[in-house]
Amino acid sequence: MQKPEVDIYQKDVTDLALFVKVSQGNVLKWDINRIVSSLLKEVGIDEALALNIAISVERIIKDSGIEFITGPLIREIVNTELIKRGLEKERKKYTRLGMPIHDVHRLITSHNKENANVPHGPEATNLSLAESIKKQYALLKIFSPEVALAHERGDVHLHDMGFIDRPYCSGNSIEYVKKFGLSLPNALSISKPAKQADVLILHLIKFSAALQGVFAGAIGWDAVNLFLAPYLVGKSDKEIYQIAQMLVFEFAQQAVARGGQSIFSDLNLYWEIPKHFMGVEAIGPGGKFTGNTYEDYLPEAQRFVLALIKVYLDGDGMGRPFFFPKPQIHITERLFQTEGYKDFLYRAAELSSVRGNSYYVFDRGDTAKISECCRLSFKLDESDLEDAKTPWKMRYSAMQNVTLNLPRIAYEAGGSDAKLFELISERLEIAAKAHVAKRGFITSLLNLGHGGPLGLLTMDKDGESYYRLHKATYLMGMLGLNELVQYHTGEEIHESNSALKLGLRVIAHMSRECDRLSERYNMRFVLEQTPAESTAYRMAKLDLIHYPAQTGKIVKGDLARGEVYYTNSTYLNVSTPISPIDRVKKEGMFHPMIHAGSLTHIWLGEAKPDPEGIASFVVKTFRNTTNDQIAFSPEFTSCLDCGRVERGIN
Amino acid sequence: MHIKGIIETSFVDWDGKIVSTIFLPDCNFRCGFCHNHKLVLDPESFDSISPARMFRYWTKNKDFLDGICITGGEPTLHKELPELCRDIKELGLKVKLDTNGTNPEVLRQLIGEKLLDYIAMDIKAPLEEDSYSDLTNVNLNDTFDMIKESIRIIINSGVDYEFRTTVIREKHSKEDIEAIAIALKGVRRYVLQKFQPKEVMDEEYKVYTSYNDEEMEEIAEVVKKYINEVKWRGN
Repeated sequence: MQKPEVDIYQKDVTDLALFVKVSQGNVLKWDINRIVSSLLKEVGIDEALALNIAISVERIIKDSGIEFITGPLIREIVNTELIKRGLEKERKKYTRLGMPIHDVHRLITSHNKENANVPHGPEATNLSLAESIKKQYALLKIFSPEVALAHERGDVHLHDMGFIDRPYCSGNSIEYVKKFGLSLPNALSISKPAKQADVLILHLIKFSAALQGVFAGAIGWDAVNLFLAPYLVGKSDKEIYQIAQMLVFEFAQQAVARGGQSIFSDLNLYWEIPKHFMGVEAIGPGGKFTGNTYEDYLPEAQRFVLALIKVYLDGDGMGRPFFFPKPQIHITERLFQTEGYKDFLYRAAELSSVRGNSYYVFDRGDTAKISECCRLSFKLDESDLEDAKTPWKMRYSAMQNVTLNLPRIAYEAGGSDAKLFELISERLEIAAKAHVAKRGFITSLLNLGHGGPLGLLTMDKDGESYYRLHKATYLMGMLGLNELVQYHTGEEIHESNSALKLGLRVIAHMSRECDRLSERYNMRFVLEQTPAESTAYRMAKLDLIHYPAQTGKIVKGDLARGEVYYTNSTYLNVSTPISPIDRVKKEGMFHPMIHAGSLTHIWLGEAKPDPEGIASFVVKTFRNTTNDQIAFSPEFTSCLDCGRVERGIN
Repeated sequence: MHIKGIIETSFVDWDGKIVSTIFLPDCNFRCGFCHNHKLVLDPESFDSISPARMFRYWTKNKDFLDGICITGGEPTLHKELPELCRDIKELGLKVKLDTNGTNPEVLRQLIGEKLLDYIAMDIKAPLEEDSYSDLTNVNLNDTFDMIKESIRIIINSGVDYEFRTTVIREKHSKEDIEAIAIALKGVRRYVLQKFQPKEVMDEEYKVYTSYNDEEMEEIAEVVKKYINEVKWRGN
């Protein structure tokens, strides 16, 4: 170690009979010089001040009379000295990230109940510990103090900060795996493009698992049945069913992956050939063009999607529903011109009625979407549709999601319309700053290339890196529009037309502001319905502390038990019985302004309706509303001991 | 006429259709297993729903609704029923009527005026007076003939229909259901409904049980010997 210019050895420090346990795993003799040099290196204060602090620290330690001390404790004492001298900025730079031993013990020994998708096990606790530190790192190092404070106060919520070094979620193309095989950077072995359907599925699953290592959220796959079709020519129904089973079970059972979680995966499915894939040359076994277009494989694509639906209907080995991968059934105008569509819709509807798996994504007119996550989808623009001719290039991602706490804005506006809209704009500015920071950080990681932490995303097989940064979107989510409207007008969205209108004005304003910010920052800011169950709880709890009088009037849930929440995104009150027709129509009015995906849930409860009624509802929603996506939710009870599944809450 | 309840959107009251279901009060039966018994015994405990509000909702949502299901209670007890059906038909919506079949004249009138698109008639027990009285808890006398008359009217109406029985293990043996099927032999559709003991008129029924899914399947198989289209609900 280089000695500082100030000769600290003039002091009689070597007589301190103290040993330091350092974090690299060693026990060293006390050396005050280490404090000085670390302050110089990490904080950048001048040497005299560093020495002054080091001497104070040494005195405290000496006075304590202890024989062993740890590096982290010395650091905390240094931090105290920094604060005493008013050096708060410097303390933040010097601080150590971690968790109290009590919390670590609790984490390792008790189940994390906040995320239902995370099982309890060593992998899961590794994930939680890592997330905790990365979150602290993000708040101190990546985001500005203004943005970090806005999150900590609960004005906005920065999602997935535990995954600060990864983009949020992604839409991918099987064509990439078909064309280039499984050839990941730094892999010990490489697979050439698959020649058989089952091998292709194995490649797909492994590639998904690899992608989950570099994305925080969901991994969506576009037009799965269509792109698999060239591999299914000549296969019997039994073989096709087995391949469909393999696909669903392999995805569903990847609970050995990151943090013991299943891969959050979406399968986008079509009965018809969507317009943007018409005339596109098909890739087949060995990653070679087959000489045919995808229209030629429609029969195989249709047989496969029906087999998939049957797999979902049959359920797992215990007859339970699958949660991942989620089947996203796209409805385009061409569906209704494609033979057999009524039977297809009937079967998809039967799945809705029995299991609830089917999500119906409405691609009206010339729009096309790839669904990713709970409700996130990418609406393909003109250049994306151009990509459809070379479908392996169809890779999209949202970099980050920032959600606005809308009810709080209503409290602060105190009934003033002008103030309400002004505050929304202000919060969106903060969200935009958060996005700029995240983009900067991810860009710096991508720039480290193949050897960097996001090496997988920089692999270049087709003239550009896997992660197409220029295509990334930046999500602006919203929480509790219903409560904003309720506080501002005295009525919930479903209670009057004027309440509904205010809700629509708020979202329209947010949408316009996103456009303005997009232009200003040259980034694509889009609104998204945040799937924000834990955020809905967090923000409601924070507001009960900071705005108790206002929050108490409108918060949903059970105040006495502290189980409170705000209504998700632009949803109507979920606990009030609202007719499904009203719900799809009214919620659907918001959807055209929310470009990164929206969803309406239709609650079925114990009833198991005739599929024809559900199919008819789907078609009518497509034809008569502007709703983007719907799913039907039946009610199940699954016995944890015997695995039996029964309808209803028992 | 007072309308005592509405389900604005229902997927389960008319197979394959999206409907609004309205509940009319009063009934001339006292079935122990009745799950709408408050409508029968204490209709005043429900607020009446303004027809104007109902029709406003239906008009606004004609683009989704296929029809209206009229249930109860026993709707045919209300003399205003034909007028209600007429108003619904004028709106361009279909009408489904749930009935216990005790008013064949009303049925004849509604069918004659082409006011019905679907009829669901309950068959409470084997078509013998004693069994029927036991399930309905009323002295039937002439009414029993009315029920048989209603069956004949419905079969010959040209209107789509179903007969249906709520099957209670303690009240219906498998042979009872077969006996009903024999009596109904040749009808278009027969539906078996699993009994749900959660909400009943007679406390005694709370401990009664339904057949399980496998048994319902078996009973349905037997019934299929006599009737083409047989299904069971409530799984």
